[in-house]
Amino acid sequence: MSLERNLLINLLFKNMRSSTLRDLIILLAIGGGLFAGGYFLVKELGKSDLELSYEVSYEQEEKLGDLFKDMIWDEFPTVKDNAADSALKQITDRLIQALDTTHYRYEFTIIKNEQINAFTIPGGNIYVFSELMKVAETPEEVAAVLAHEIGHAEKRHVVTKLMQELSMTAIIGVLSGGDPGVLTEVLKNIIGNSFSRSQEEEADKFALELLEKAGISPKNLARFFERLNEKDLDYDENLEILMTHPHNDKRIDQARRYKVKNGFEPKPFNIDWEKVQESL
Amino acid sequence: MEFHPLPQPHEITEREKEDAMGAYLMMFAAVAIGLPLPIINLIAAIIYYFVNRKKSRFIHFHCLQALLSNIPTTLINWGLVIWAVRNFIGHHEWTETFWAYAIFAGLATFLYFIVSLIAAYKARHGKMYYFLLFGKISYEAAYRVRPNDEPGTEPVNKPPF
Repeated sequence: MSLERNLLINLLFKNMRSSTLRDLIILLAIGGGLFAGGYFLVKELGKSDLELSYEVSYEQEEKLGDLFKDMIWDEFPTVKDNAADSALKQITDRLIQALDTTHYRYEFTIIKNEQINAFTIPGGNIYVFSELMKVAETPEEVAAVLAHEIGHAEKRHVVTKLMQELSMTAIIGVLSGGDPGVLTEVLKNIIGNSFSRSQEEEADKFALELLEKAGISPKNLARFFERLNEKDLDYDENLEILMTHPHNDKRIDQARRYKVKNGFEPKPFNIDWEKVQESL
Repeated sequence: MEFHPLPQPHEITEREKEDAMGAYLMMFAAVAIGLPLPIINLIAAIIYYFVNRKKSRFIHFHCLQALLSNIPTTLINWGLVIWAVRNFIGHHEWTETFWAYAIFAGLATFLYFIVSLIAAYKARHGKMYYFLLFGKISYEAAYRVRPNDEPGTEPVNKPPF
């Protein structure tokens, strides 16, 4: 009788434990399901940058770039000086050659402007302000900023930003000769608004790797950021290569800590930088 | 393992039903006060449990179930608060994973509120209502026969003659 009672108790006990375990598994499954549901919802509500950028083809992007280029030519005076142009060409040629593959035919232009800025518009068109070149102490620092801008183009951040602001329909409208007012607004948005932190970090990472491949010390990116920080220069608050503190410090730190491959030897540019700066 | 017989609704006093229901409803008020610090409702549930658990097994069961089921929701919401504060202070990215977690926490809390309301309604009518996992644990804790509960224990109160 006692044995039977023990067996019964054991059975009950085991049943209790197994059903408790089952409950736990069900609860965890519900929790996992809720999290997966949340993740799916987030994914659906905010498509990833890459997914957004895929909706605009490279051809469409190039057309958009051509439209914006014309507006920029009308809006900003550009620097036409042999010394500055040839210096920029030497810098950008080195960077472009270091790119493994690219969908863009890059075009770099110096804009005569008192602000310290550089920006990228669709289609691989990159603009650097003359004041930025004056502030940079070496051509390597300008190369670092331009490498960062190339990063934004290659990672299609510009197109993503456009897609976040405008619908695909609006972009097609712009391409098919829509309201010039809209075009101006879009351009202002591209130049004025900063990228997200993750995009900035991605462009930084791209720039550091590109600089190394191009035989330019990646530390130049940190040096340029530090100079802007230390001198407390009156740069445009929308300067997209910079972000608010303390995030900027983190980026400087990342650039400083970037490890180049063994045997890396920087190849200096053959540029008379003082002469270039005087010509700006 | 032996258990005490479950009381039927007509055997439970109105006061017991109200106290049992209160274990769930009290937390709604506590949540409102506690937001955005979800620890308040857990503290309230612990106090409510220790104040009421000895009143009857029915109340013990519901108070314990309310308390235990409160723990995961509190932890989940605390996780959300800590993550949000960390992002805010440390200027970290508000990642997709964070928002997925926020939705998860919101849904989990909503689900918890729904089952708590059902449990409160059932308790008010003198009925048992078992949550997944916590229902079984609470039932075992409240109704399991312990050596002290065995018949034959010397009664403390005795008639005068």
